[in-house]
Amino acid sequence: MARDKIYQEEEFPTPLVQLWHNFKQPPVVMIGFCCFLFLIVLAVLANIITPYSSVENHLDHLLLPPAWSDDGNVSFLLGTDNLGRDMLSRLIQGTSLTFGLSIIVVIASLAIGVVIGSLSALTSGIKSSVLNHFLDVILSIPSLLLAIIIVAILGPGLENTLWAIIMVLIPQFVHITRNAVKEEFAKDYVLASRLDGASSIRILRYSIFPNIIEKLISQATLAQSAAILDIAALGFLGLGAPIPMPEWGAMLANGVDLFYIAPWTVYLPGLAILFSVIATNLVGEGMRHALKVRKEN
Amino acid sequence: MGLQKTDMLIFTLRRFNLFFFTMLLLTILSFSLSFLFPGEQLINLTGQIDASPEQLAFLAEEYQQQSGLLSQYFSYISHLFHGEMGYSMTSHLPIMTEILNRLPATIELTCVALLVAMFFGIPIGFCAAIYHRKVPDNLILAIAMIGYSIPVFWLGILAILVFSIQLGWLPSAGQISLLFEIPHVTGLQLIDILLSDSPYKWQAFQDATRHLILPVIVVALAPATIFMRLARSAMLEVLDTHYIKAAKTKGLTFSQIIYRHAMRNAFIKVIRDVGLQFANLITIAMVTEVIFSWPGIGRWLIESIYQRDYTAIQGGLIVLSTFIFLVHIIIDFVYAALNPLARERNHGT
Amino acid sequence: MLLVLSGCDSNEALSLSKKSIVYCSEGAPDSFNPQTVSSGTTIDATANHLYNRLIEFNPTDNAIIPAIAKSWHVTRDGKMLTFYLRKGIKFHQTAYFTPTRNLNADDVLFSFNRMLDVTHEYHAISGGKYPFFQNAQLVDLIDSIEKINDHTIRFQLSHSDSSFLANIGGNSAVILSKEYANKLVELNAMQEIDILPIGTGPFKFKQYSSGAFIRYEPHAGYWRGKSGLKQLVFDITPRDTGRLTKLLAGECDVIAYPIAHEKIKQHPNLTVESVTSFNVGYFGFNTSKPPFNDPLVRKALSYAINKQAILETVYTGQAEIANGLIPNSSWAYDESITSQEYSIAKAKKLLIEAGYGAGFAMDLWAMPVQRAYNPDAVTMAKLIQADLHKIGVEVEIVSDYEWSTFLRKISEGEHQSVLLGWSGDHPDPDNFFSTLLSCASAITGSNRTFWCNKEFDKLLQSALQTNNINSRKLYYSKALKLINEEVPLIPIAHSKRYQARAKNINGTILRSIGGIDFNGVTKN
Repeated sequence: MARDKIYQEEEFPTPLVQLWHNFKQPPVVMIGFCCFLFLIVLAVLANIITPYSSVENHLDHLLLPPAWSDDGNVSFLLGTDNLGRDMLSRLIQGTSLTFGLSIIVVIASLAIGVVIGSLSALTSGIKSSVLNHFLDVILSIPSLLLAIIIVAILGPGLENTLWAIIMVLIPQFVHITRNAVKEEFAKDYVLASRLDGASSIRILRYSIFPNIIEKLISQATLAQSAAILDIAALGFLGLGAPIPMPEWGAMLANGVDLFYIAPWTVYLPGLAILFSVIATNLVGEGMRHALKVRKEN
Repeated sequence: MGLQKTDMLIFTLRRFNLFFFTMLLLTILSFSLSFLFPGEQLINLTGQIDASPEQLAFLAEEYQQQSGLLSQYFSYISHLFHGEMGYSMTSHLPIMTEILNRLPATIELTCVALLVAMFFGIPIGFCAAIYHRKVPDNLILAIAMIGYSIPVFWLGILAILVFSIQLGWLPSAGQISLLFEIPHVTGLQLIDILLSDSPYKWQAFQDATRHLILPVIVVALAPATIFMRLARSAMLEVLDTHYIKAAKTKGLTFSQIIYRHAMRNAFIKVIRDVGLQFANLITIAMVTEVIFSWPGIGRWLIESIYQRDYTAIQGGLIVLSTFIFLVHIIIDFVYAALNPLARERNHGT
Repeated sequence: MLLVLSGCDSNEALSLSKKSIVYCSEGAPDSFNPQTVSSGTTIDATANHLYNRLIEFNPTDNAIIPAIAKSWHVTRDGKMLTFYLRKGIKFHQTAYFTPTRNLNADDVLFSFNRMLDVTHEYHAISGGKYPFFQNAQLVDLIDSIEKINDHTIRFQLSHSDSSFLANIGGNSAVILSKEYANKLVELNAMQEIDILPIGTGPFKFKQYSSGAFIRYEPHAGYWRGKSGLKQLVFDITPRDTGRLTKLLAGECDVIAYPIAHEKIKQHPNLTVESVTSFNVGYFGFNTSKPPFNDPLVRKALSYAINKQAILETVYTGQAEIANGLIPNSSWAYDESITSQEYSIAKAKKLLIEAGYGAGFAMDLWAMPVQRAYNPDAVTMAKLIQADLHKIGVEVEIVSDYEWSTFLRKISEGEHQSVLLGWSGDHPDPDNFFSTLLSCASAITGSNRTFWCNKEFDKLLQSALQTNNINSRKLYYSKALKLINEEVPLIPIAHSKRYQARAKNINGTILRSIGGIDFNGVTKN
C-alpha cells in the first residue's frame, strides 16, 4: 500500500492542538467547556442582553418570586429582590463581575507569576533557596486570610480585592513555572540548543514555554475556580464589591437577610457561583486528563 | 536502631530549621504590616489609639523607634516572645487575651473537622480507586467535584436553612446554649464541660456536641472531597507498584492485597498531603465561623477588618499562621513516624 | 444507676431552659448605667431590669405612677417637689457586693448629685457625660436637692418646668446604691460602678461577655415580688437574619426588631407584636462640614428624597411619613406643617443656586443595627443613594462599624451625613427637640448634626418655662417650622417597634417608652 507521504508525521501537531484532541474526548468535559464558553459570552454581552438595569428599583414589584411560582411575574423571570431589582439582570451582570473578573485576575497573576518563576528558575543558590522558602510561607497562609490582609492595607472595594487576589495567586504560578522550567532545562533538547549557543532567554522563549504552556493553563483553571470563590467570598463578607454592585457574593450576602422571606435571593446567586466553578473545574479536569493521556501515549 | 535514631534527629533538626525560617519570615511580614496599614506605625503596632503624648513617647522608647529598623524589629520580636502583641483598637483588651479566648474554639472546630474529613474522605477515596473506572468511581468523582466547587458560605446558609430552620434539628449559632455557665479553663468547650462541676454537665455536653455538628460538616466537606481524590490517586499509584503485582502473582486475593498491603501504604501517602490541606481548611473555617457565629479567631479577624483594628489583624495573622504551620509539622512527624523512607530522603528543605 | 442519674439530669436541665428566657438583642450595651448613655440598646438592657426610678410610667397609658417614691407633692408655683420614699426596698446581693441596708434618701441624693454636681467624686467616672440630663438641661433647672429625713427628699427648681416630672421618670433617672459607691471608693475601683452594676430592679447582674451576651438572675428581694425566671440572658445578635434564625431554631425565646414581614407574622410558632412608640427616624447632616454648612444644599437634598418609597421598602408600610420631628400622637404635633414634597426639579434648582450644579460626592453613615425608627438603615441608604444619584450627588455608604464605635465616631463628627433616629425617653415633646437639635446636645454629642441655632434654643427655653399647653404648643410649632426651613435633618418616618417571640412566652415585654421589660414575663 503506497503512501503519498513517506514521512507520515511530518505535520506533527503542536502541543496545544494535541491537547485539544485529547481534551474533547470525554463528553462531560465538553459539556463543562460549553458552559464555560456560555459564561464568557454572558460576561461579554452582559450589558446588551439584560432586560433591566441591575440597579433599577421596581418599587411596585418588591420581593417577587421567580416566574414559575404562583405569585411570579413573567416579566421578572427569576424574581426581584428587596429593592425590586430584577434578579435575572443582576445575575447576568454579575457574570461579568464575578466570573469575568476572575479570568482577568488569573491572566494577570499568570503573567506576573511566569516572569518571576522563570527568572527564579535561572538563578540558583541562596537567592533561590530564600525565594523558595518565602513562597512556602506565603502558600501556607490561608489564601482568604492573605487576601483579607491585603484588603485591609488597600481598603475595601472591588478593585482592591482584585489586586489582593492577584497577589494571592501569584505564588502558585511562580512555583509551578519554576519547577516546570527547571524540569525542562534538564532535558536533552535544551542542552542541544544550548550547545547551539542559544541564550537562556531564547531557550525559554522558543524551547521551553511551548512545552510548559499546557501545565500553566491547567494550573490557571485551578486558580480561576479559586479566584471565583475568593471574589465571591470577599463580596459575601462585605469587603469586596460595594453595595449596589451585582457581584454574586455580595448579592448572596444581601439575600441572607431575606432568606426566610425570599429564599430565591439566596439560592440563585449561590447556584450561579456553583455553576461557574463547576464549569471551570470541568475544563481544568479535562485539561489534566488530556495531559495525562498524552504522557501515557 | 541507632541509625533510625540519628535519622529522626536529622529530620527533627530540619523541621526545626524550617520552622525557624518560617517564623522569621512571618514576623517580618507582620512587622512590616504595621508600616503598610493606614495610620501611624507605632499605634498600629501597639493598638494604643487613645494614648496621651507622654504614653506615646514611652512606647516609642520601648519599641526603640529612634533606632534603626533592625533594632525596631528585634524589640518587636522580644515583645512577641513575652506574649505582648499590643492592645485591640476596639475592645482595648490585650491582643493576647483576645486570642487566648478565641483560638481554642477555632482549634476545636478545625481539628474535629480535619478528623471528620479524613475519616470519611480517605476510605471513600480508596473505595473509588478499588472500583476504578466503574460506576462507584465516577459517582464519587462527581460528588467530589461538586463538593470542592460549592461556595462554603452558601453551603453554610443552606445547612442552617434546612437543618435549623426547617427541620429544627440542630442549633444555628454559637458553641453552646448561653444558659449553661461553663467556666473557661482550657477554652476547648467539650473539655471544659467535662472539667466543670455544673449540675447540668451532660446536658451541656450534649448541647455543645449538637452545636458542633453543622459547622464541622460545613468545614469538613471540601477537605473531605480533596482527601477522596488524594486517597484515590494514592491507592491507584500503590496498586500499580511492583510489590502489589508481586503479591497478586503470589495468589493473594484482591481484598487481602487491599487490606494487608495497599491500604497502609496509600494511607501514608495521603497523610503527607494533609498538612498542605490544613491552610485551605482554615480558610473555610474562617468563613464558616462568621456564618455560624462561632466564637473563634477567624470570625474575630474578619470583624477586626470591619473595625479597622490593625493591631488585631497583625496578631491574628501571626497566631493563625503559626497554628497552621505547627499542625503542618506535626503531620510531617506523624508521616515520618509511619514511613521510615521519609526520614532518609532530603525532603521539604 | 447511670440511667437514674441521666434522667435526673435532664429533668433539671429541662427546668433550666423552661424557666429561663433568652432574648436576642440587636446590639451590645455601652454601659450598665443608663444615666451615662442615650442609646436605646443600653436602655433596653439595663433601665427596667437592673434599676428603678423615683416614679415610672404605666406601661398601658404612660401615666406617671409611683415607684421608689410612694407619693410626691408639688407646690403651687411648681418650684418645690417633695418625694416620700418607699421603705424596705432592697439592693441586689451579688458575688461582688452585699448590701447591709435598704434604700434610703442618701441613695437618691447620690444618684442625682453624681449627674448634677461636677465636683462630685463620681461625676467624671465613665466620661462625665450624662446625655439625657444634660440635654434636658436639668443641671440649670435643679437648684438643690435636700434630704429631709431618711425617706423624704426635696427638689428645689430654679423655675417651673412642665416636663420635670416626665424627666424624673425617664429611663436615665435611675437610683444607684450609695453604699456600693462608698465601698468602691475604698477599694479604689470607682469605674466599676457602671461595669458591675448594683440596683434595686427585678434582675441582678451575673455576667457580661463583651459583645456576646449578658446574664441576669432574678433579684430575690425585689420589692414588687421576685420574678419566676431562673435566668434572663441577652444574646447579642446584631444581624436581623441571625436573630430570626435563632428564634426559628428555638435558640432564642424573644427577639428584638424582627423583619416585619407577612410571612413571618403567619408562622405558626411565632407571635409578632408591635407597639406604637415615640420615635423618629431621620437623615441628618453634619452642618459643621461642607457642603452641608449651607442650608440651601440641605434643603435641596430634602426635596430629592422619596420618602414614600422608603416607607414601603424599609418599613414595609408599618410606619407614618414624618412631617416633622415629633409623631402625631404627641400633643405638640402641628398638622399645618407638612413634609417637603418630592421634587427632583426643585432639588436641582436649589443645588444650582447653592453653587453645586455639578453635584458632589458625600458619605452617608447608615447605622449598623436595627432600631424601631429605622429597621434597615443600609437599605434606606441604598434608596437614598439612588435618589441622590438623580440630582448628581454621589453617595458612599458607610455601615461596617460596630454600633458603639459607630456612635462614637459620629458623635465626634466624622460623618458628613447619617441615618439615625430617636426613641423618646418620656412622652414630653421637649425630649425630641432638646435632645436632637439643641446647642447643649451638640456638645454632649446627641445632636449629631452639630446644628446650633440661637433662635431655636430660645423657642425651646420659652416652651419649658410655661405650664400652659397651648402656648407651649405654639412655641414648638415655631420650632418645627424653623427645622423645616433650615433642614439640619430630614425626618423620614415614625414607626412602630416590633418584637417576635415564641408562642410559649407570656406577658407584656414591649413598652412604648423605655424599651422592654421582662419583669413578670413567664414561660410555659
